Amino acid sequence: MLPEPIIEMENIIKIYPDGVVALKGVDLTIWKGEIHAILGENGAGKTTLMRILYGEIKPTSGAIKINGEEVDFHGPWDAIKRGIGMVYQHFTLIPTFTVLENLHLSLLALDESIKAEDVETLTRRLMDELGLKIPLYDVVEDLPIGVQQRVEIIKTLLRKANILILDEPTSVLTPIEVEELFKMLRKLKKLGITIIFITHKLREVKAISDRVTIMRRGKVVATLYTSKVSEEELARLTVDIDLTSKPKIRGGIRGRRILSINDLWVRDERGLDAVKGVSLELYEGEILGLAGVQGNGQKELIEAIVGIRRAYRGSIKYLDQDITSLSVGDRYKLGISYVPDSRNIGLVYGMNLTENSILTNLHNYLSGIRVINWSEAYRTADKIVREYNVVAPSLRSPIQYLSGGNQQKVMVGREATREPKVFIVSEPTHGLDVRATRFIRNMLVKLRDLGKSILLVSTDLDEIMELSNRIAVIYGGRIMSVGDKNEYTIKKLGLLMGGIHEQRITK
Amino acid sequence: MSKGSLSKLIETLSERLLTERREYLATLIETSSSLILALLAGGIVLAVLGYDPLNVYNILFRYGFGNITYLLDKSTPLMMTGLAFAIPLIAGLFNIGGESQLYIGAFIALLAAYYTHSHVIGILAGTIAGGLLGAFIGILRVYRGINEVISSIMVNWIFFYLIIYLISGVYYNPERPHESIPIPKDARIYPISNISVIFAIAVLASILYYIILFHTDIGYKMRVTGLSTASAKYAGFNPDLSMIYSMLLGGAAAGLGGALLVLGMTYSIDDMLSAVYGLGFTGIGIGLLGRLHPIGIILASIFFSGLLIGGQWVELKTGAPPELADTLIGVIVIALAIPYVYKLLVSRLIQRRVIE
Repeated sequence: MLPEPIIEMENIIKIYPDGVVALKGVDLTIWKGEIHAILGENGAGKTTLMRILYGEIKPTSGAIKINGEEVDFHGPWDAIKRGIGMVYQHFTLIPTFTVLENLHLSLLALDESIKAEDVETLTRRLMDELGLKIPLYDVVEDLPIGVQQRVEIIKTLLRKANILILDEPTSVLTPIEVEELFKMLRKLKKLGITIIFITHKLREVKAISDRVTIMRRGKVVATLYTSKVSEEELARLTVDIDLTSKPKIRGGIRGRRILSINDLWVRDERGLDAVKGVSLELYEGEILGLAGVQGNGQKELIEAIVGIRRAYRGSIKYLDQDITSLSVGDRYKLGISYVPDSRNIGLVYGMNLTENSILTNLHNYLSGIRVINWSEAYRTADKIVREYNVVAPSLRSPIQYLSGGNQQKVMVGREATREPKVFIVSEPTHGLDVRATRFIRNMLVKLRDLGKSILLVSTDLDEIMELSNRIAVIYGGRIMSVGDKNEYTIKKLGLLMGGIHEQRITK
Repeated sequence: MSKGSLSKLIETLSERLLTERREYLATLIETSSSLILALLAGGIVLAVLGYDPLNVYNILFRYGFGNITYLLDKSTPLMMTGLAFAIPLIAGLFNIGGESQLYIGAFIALLAAYYTHSHVIGILAGTIAGGLLGAFIGILRVYRGINEVISSIMVNWIFFYLIIYLISGVYYNPERPHESIPIPKDARIYPISNISVIFAIAVLASILYYIILFHTDIGYKMRVTGLSTASAKYAGFNPDLSMIYSMLLGGAAAGLGGALLVLGMTYSIDDMLSAVYGLGFTGIGIGLLGRLHPIGIILASIFFSGLLIGGQWVELKTGAPPELADTLIGVIVIALAIPYVYKLLVSRLIQRRVIE
């Protein structure tokens, strides 16, 4: 039987108003009744593509056909009418409503006169068909995440969706919940529902999908039958191996051990273990690259090192001092600095450039009676602007008026100007153009050569390979592997980041 | 000052004007167009109700801003309750409790001045009392998770009736039982050659608040907290502490407002609290009209009291009901504040959703 295309997206281009090109001409064909995985790193354009399909954002150009018929969506409601349903990474349920109330609410959007009893009958019929149970009268926020996700899926099915888009559905689930989800998806497939499954986990692609489309930097690299590719091949295709600019790592003189982390355990916002017994050491004059797919505990780990988050077990030592219970400010004063992955956190929008350039170093600008010495602050801002080639209208410009790259330079420059001994940077070049990226990377190398210790957290393997002296890979809150840079290849990193152990690779 | 440094100063000032002229210009255009719209909207309301808009506006502005001493006296407590609303909001909290913070400030100042015959002690006592009450609401929010709007409103009513009880039952004036004991003559604050002393004190306080906000670490931390709690935590600040400080400072402003009112204008409090009632709520409008900036709030409070005074004259001269003047003032203030409040609410609500 010939496969019948249900969705055809042709030459989709998306350029955001700020000039960022998210999709550079993407073609995607989804067949009726298949489970189609879309695989790619962060920023590859997976979610943008799906949001275009769901009518949430409009493509700059390109055509979308559903069942062979060209469509022009003005919003998700148009997509819903065409039988497309989307389940986001973050659920859109009302936490204080019961399951039934949530379902009722979502159906009201389609049919204003529908009664709660009708919703209940419909839902029970659907649940029988699928052979699963969810408690209709329980309040949503009391339910486990896996069940909430099931409610989301039921919600889209009740709206008669026959194409289901799941955006990184497993990122919030425990392994057992993932199994349950896969069982449900297979059942849906039997009922003839087409499923698009966005992920960056290789194993899941192999486990659930019929075909897989691999995206990289806004382009489709390949669409393949999953059964015909190995995890290694997938890893190679997902990760950009176009390493034109060769890493120029001078050996780096490794000095004293400056930071030692011992069996650290940290919980995330939901109270689940995000960091599970991590031990790491950082030396003077080295860049330690921490590679991993986003959401594997990197954020919690570095926040614990900086002191923003408490570690509930384990210890952090700075030189010979135990700093596990020191405050953030005290750790900064000792010589630790941190550039977060989000400029939303590292900079204060609504404040100007100068105000932002003293954020993490306020105590150095205070005179006796807690008065801020603004002329000193202006000097610092001026220094940052000049040394880091920040393009800004003035030192008093609100920081949000600067371009992303210049904001990043201010943030990185601020931390570097403080002359810290330990420099923790997270995704320092995320979303930057080539020149700004080059600039920041050169700066990190320069700092390293000055004998600073740098912990570089990045999901960009190029960056890790280019800059690191040593590399550690984190997966599921555990360090999979630590070693000298030379011991790793991009391919090996990709597998480790996907949670596949070294023993299996060497076999 | 040498010639070189003077020219440098002029240079920096003109550079600042140039670089920020877009914002200054935007604010100016926004404010003046809102004012025109406001007057037009008010004029339509007047015309529909059968009054001559030009006549009413003439009375409103001529009499409202005619007696400068009275105008400034009247704007004093409003300036302070405006700050009481603005300062906590800068740190991200909605202080609706300016009302009770002003009551307690007025009442404690009254008692202190009555027993010590000192206006200085009266002012200090009132300010501290207001500050403590504000901090109490901040502490409830931070350590008990109680929404400050709800606790503020409840505290407002508790103190409304408590102070009515104290004035009518304990500290009443035996000669005039519907009034509290009076401020002793030697503790009253009088205008000095027509210059309102209490207004001057309030302006000094506003400038002090300006300095705290923009030139001290406490203010810096409060502003960071209000703009982004996540950034505050990242910078190693304690957002909880900043919130409590902001409520302490806000409450202190309202307390000072109450103290100045009773020491410099009313000299006693009536047992219906009609002299103090509503000033805290009006402060919300003043704070927003002044764009949460201490200097803006000084101007807003003068403008607003002019409208209040003029409104009473409109009633007197045209025989219009008091509701007409209130409606008119409401329309003008809302039209003036809307663009700013809209932006503010959107950004603050988003910020809150992100945290909670």
